[in-house]
Amino acid sequence: MIQVGGLTKRFGMHLILDRLDLSVTKGERVALLGLNGAGKTTLMRCLLGLIPFDGSLSIAGQDVRANGREARARLGYVPQRAPHFDGSFAEMIEFFTRLRGVEPAAVESRLESLGLAPAEHGEKPVRALSGGMLQKVLLALALGADVPLLLLDEPTANLDPRARREFLRALQSVDHDTTILLASHRFADVQAVADRLLVLHGGRIAFDGSVATLRDRVGDAVTLWVKVPTDVRERARQHLESLALPAVLSNGSAIGVRVDHAARADVLVELRQRAIPVEDFWTEVPSLQDLLENVLGLGERS
Amino acid sequence: MSRTMLFVQRELAGSLRARWFLAYSAVFLAGGLLLATFGMGDITVYGFRGFAKAFTGLVHLALLFVPLMALFPAAAAIAEDRESGALEYVLAQPVTFGEVYAGKLGGVSLAVLLSMTLGFGAAGAVAVLRGVPPGLVAILYAFVVLLALVFVALGLCFSTIAGSRARAVTFGILVWLVLVALGTLGVMVAFVRWGLPEQLLVTWSFLNPVEAFRMGVVSALDADLSLLGPVGARVAARFGAAGTATLSGLSLAAWVALPGLIGWRLFRAHG
Repeated sequence: MIQVGGLTKRFGMHLILDRLDLSVTKGERVALLGLNGAGKTTLMRCLLGLIPFDGSLSIAGQDVRANGREARARLGYVPQRAPHFDGSFAEMIEFFTRLRGVEPAAVESRLESLGLAPAEHGEKPVRALSGGMLQKVLLALALGADVPLLLLDEPTANLDPRARREFLRALQSVDHDTTILLASHRFADVQAVADRLLVLHGGRIAFDGSVATLRDRVGDAVTLWVKVPTDVRERARQHLESLALPAVLSNGSAIGVRVDHAARADVLVELRQRAIPVEDFWTEVPSLQDLLENVLGLGERS
Repeated sequence: MSRTMLFVQRELAGSLRARWFLAYSAVFLAGGLLLATFGMGDITVYGFRGFAKAFTGLVHLALLFVPLMALFPAAAAIAEDRESGALEYVLAQPVTFGEVYAGKLGGVSLAVLLSMTLGFGAAGAVAVLRGVPPGLVAILYAFVVLLALVFVALGLCFSTIAGSRARAVTFGILVWLVLVALGTLGVMVAFVRWGLPEQLLVTWSFLNPVEAFRMGVVSALDADLSLLGPVGARVAARFGAAGTATLSGLSLAAWVALPGLIGWRLFRAHG
């Protein structure tokens, strides 16, 4: 569905994408991750043919540079910031359905399934719609065009939690044949939608695989949190450090250490042998953020 | 309907919805009607001289209003959409950059011309009813159309370059002020102060679209261009009334084509 070969993009002296190679097949749900400035949005803009680039890029067999319009006809796009349009909700739908040559009924049925009845909102000015509603409208326009590829550039970044949940639910219900490329900072979004992760770093792909693969790569480490009485907390911390356990963390009332999942009990036994009473304990599986930082070699959280 | 026409329609509707645009159109209409009704009235008292004065008043009204009326919507056309994110979304649809640019150029031009036609049509009709030759009104209208298109093309070009609508509008107004300031009077000051060659003065008069407009229109009214002072007299002596009108028209046409093409190339290159 997406073929990228040697994609390179510079802005002045800054190399944003560095000979990027990538292949996404039909029906894949791919999340594009990376720190700020990693090149996620630049990659999206290249895929859309909005900016010049070096290298090759094709969407559903259409060369983006040579046949940009045909390539864009095969994708639906939802940007991070819902654009402002003059006119009413109905006028916006009419304009974009005519622009894409799509039957308005197809978009209207999508709108209804997303809880936006055109009859109810038709005369509202677009500027009166909330960000969440507008993002849903853009998703309905993309889905109504029955395209094989959805490009989503941090579509939930400006949504409140409820609107975000609704948007993700709508995304999860998308036909399985539809390929999705989702750029996001939000790991909950990624986990809800994607089955493949692409981590961009330094203009190249630092990781390409599933969430499970990412976890395997980082290992089976968890964070074990133990809560001990205040008067022995310092002694407990020193003892855990003496055990050379990585990253002794403190969140105020508890101390945390990184241990292998299977070795959790050993730590508790050690503390007990030192007559340090444990009032409570719990384990924390590393978040995707932790995994990402680990993959990118950005060090431990402290 | 083609995609370009869809953009033309959208741009036209957007411009006509803008309050300031409607206000400008109303003031232009009122100003034109006032001049045509009361200014042209002089014809019966003072004869041709009074009519000419009123007519040049109409020319100056056009010089004041037409560039600004054209600049505002044109400067907003791309920059505002870029600021709001609408441009990126529109360009992400199955359209070419050319269709979007042509649509915006066409839509803004139509909106401005519609407003011009309304204002000038009413003023022109009154003027004709009061005895002004229809041919003269037609020539004035043709040059007003050209002047409007010049500033639409310039505004759209600035809109492509500038990072925001405000910058595009500011830049457009600055350029308009410079062109007005560097009209015949400004260049004549330089001519006298630094003794610039006469050829330069004449060339500049044709290269400056504001001056070209003034010369083109006045040449139809006053064959020796005496209304434009010594520069006008020199131009008239050299090219004659028809030659001056033709050269002025060509200059304005070039001012439409060049910024239009530059804007299009920049838009295609950088979106």
